[in-house]
Parts: sequence; structure tokens; C-alpha cells
Amino acid sequence: MNDDYLWDKTGEPDPQVQELEEILGTLRYQPKPLQIPNELTLPQRRNYFPWVAIAAGVLLAILAGGIWLSTRSRSDAPQRQAEVTAPAPVKEVTPSVPKTPERKNEPREEVVAVVHKHRPRSSTPILSKGEREEALMAKEQVMIALRLTTEKLSLVHKKTQNTSPVNQIKNQHRVG
Amino acid sequence: MYATADMLLTSPAPAAPEQTHETAIEVVLVKAVLEGDRDGFTRLYDLYAPLVHGILLARVPRAEVDDLVQDIFLHAYKKLHTLRDSSLFGPWIAMIARNRAVDFHRRKHETVEINDELRGSNTQDSRATEILELIRNLPEAYRETLVLRLVEGMTGPEIAGRTGLTAASVRVNLHRGMKLLREQLGFMEGL
Repeated sequence: MNDDYLWDKTGEPDPQVQELEEILGTLRYQPKPLQIPNELTLPQRRNYFPWVAIAAGVLLAILAGGIWLSTRSRSDAPQRQAEVTAPAPVKEVTPSVPKTPERKNEPREEVVAVVHKHRPRSSTPILSKGEREEALMAKEQVMIALRLTTEKLSLVHKKTQNTSPVNQIKNQHRVG
Repeated sequence: MYATADMLLTSPAPAAPEQTHETAIEVVLVKAVLEGDRDGFTRLYDLYAPLVHGILLARVPRAEVDDLVQDIFLHAYKKLHTLRDSSLFGPWIAMIARNRAVDFHRRKHETVEINDELRGSNTQDSRATEILELIRNLPEAYRETLVLRLVEGMTGPEIAGRTGLTAASVRVNLHRGMKLLREQLGFMEGL
């Protein structure tokens, strides 16, 4: 059946559709003026661009500051290490002094010079490679322990939320 | 089945220009309203009140429809700044109307259907109410489209353009809805 008339009122009119249109047309919308109260003001479309721009600027500044600080601290780090480790070679050098009897009578300034000679060596990190690895391992273990503790705590929390007080007592051994 | 497939294949091209024209008007009007032109909103109301009326008529008691139409447009006026794409004013307000109809039923108003009162006014009106009741009992997908077509007198392309539905789905809904309504009307005397 061709339903062009039902679709867009073209083509051969369908008598049943026409009759329905006529009957149901009595329920059609009767124009009534819309009364917008005077006190009803239209909120303006919010322009978030300035705020977004300010936020982005602040974020960029913070990022730039962070990068600058990190690069600065990196460049400062060897100097600080050198300062800290500077006395260490003195200790190392001092015992070696008696081994060389020729140097026994040498003036004290030379010892100082020896210290200065060893200064470049002091630019190496405080921790040796092994120590550093050990420290990292230890850190990892601490992190794992923390994670486990968090998991346990959340488990305890869930159990206390879901179980009745009687069950809480029963399950205490699992929590502990 | 074949009719449906045929309709889907021959979905009408004329819908597009009309839709574009209306969309252009909407965009201009929404912009004007947002710039403080209240008359622009009155124009939008004139354009879209039949759509909102039809959507509500398919869902809520007839006596409530007029007040709800006003409420919906006032709500739309207050929230117009939240409409991101001005060309979608039609689908937007249609959605507000549908949501408002759902809210209406959720609140469980203790309304007494005044069908008897309406029926008493004249025969034509009472028959209209009866047929509307039949349409309301049809599946939801067909209700709205049939009311917009048969009550508000909108064409299929107009319904598609204003509700944001595709022309093909409107055509299918009209065809299937009308088929079901014809079956229902077969039981009614005098039609």
C-alpha cells in the first residue's frame, strides 16, 4: 500500500487517515501566548575561556618552575656531594701517610694538597652502586609492605562494613 | 515487511532542505535570545509549541498538557544558555518535554481523568479522546509520531526535522503505528 499521504500529505489521500486527521484535529494545539515573567532573566552563556587561559597559565608557570628547580638541583648536586665527601679522602689519606716514611717530615700543606688531588674522586655519588641497589631493593620492599598493609586495611574495612558484629568477631583471626 | 524495506530505501530527500531552513532559523533565534531578545524566544515558542504539545499529548492527561507546555518553555528559556548546539533546539526541547512527562508520572499526581467531561461536550470530541486513548496504548515508539502526524498535522519530514529523528525511522514508525491503529479501530464502531 502506498502511504505517501500518511508520510507527507502527497499522493492519493487515504480516506481513513483523512478521517482520523479530521477527528483528532480537534485536539490540536491552540496557540496561546507565552508569558515570560519580567523577573525571569536569562543567564548568559558562560564564557569559560578566560578562566581556562588563567588556569593554563598558572599550570605552565608551575611546570616551568618545577623543571627549573629540578635541573638546578641536579646541577647543584655534585658540588654538594663534593663538599660532603671532601673530608672522607682525608681520612683515607691520613693512614697512608705513615706507610710512606719519606713523607713523615714533609710540611702539613702537602697533605692538604693531597686532599685537593683526591677531590675529583669525591664527585662520585655518596652511595656506591651496590649500596644504591640495596637501597632501591629496600625501598621496593617497603612499598610492597605498604601496599599489603593497605590491601589488608581495605579488606578489614570491607569486612566490617558487610558483616554483622558477630561475624566480625569470628573473622578477627583472618584480619590479624 | 516489504513495505518497510521499500520505505527505508526510498527515504525522502525533501526532508533535508526543510530541516536546514528550520535549523537556520533556530540558530538565529537562539543567538538573538541569548543576546537578550525575548521576542526571539516567543518566535521559538510559536515554532515549537505544537511539537511539545504533541509529545505531551501522547503521554500525559489532556487537561495537564497546556500548563506543562508553558512550564517546559519557561524552563527552556532559563536553561537556554546550556544548549551547546543552537541547531539542535528542536531535539533539545523535545527531550525536555519527554523528561517532564516522565516526571509527571513519577510524581503520581492524583488527577482525575476528565474524559467524561470532555466526552460530554460533543460527539466529535469524545471520539477524538477515545482514539487518542487507543494511540496512547500503542508502543511508545509509534505514539509520539502518530500524534504529531494526526493531531498536530505535521508531515513526516517536519516531524523528523524537529525531533531530530531520521526520516527513515519516522516513516517506519508512522507506517507501523498506523497499521496497529487500524487494527485497533477495527474493533470500534462507526469508524
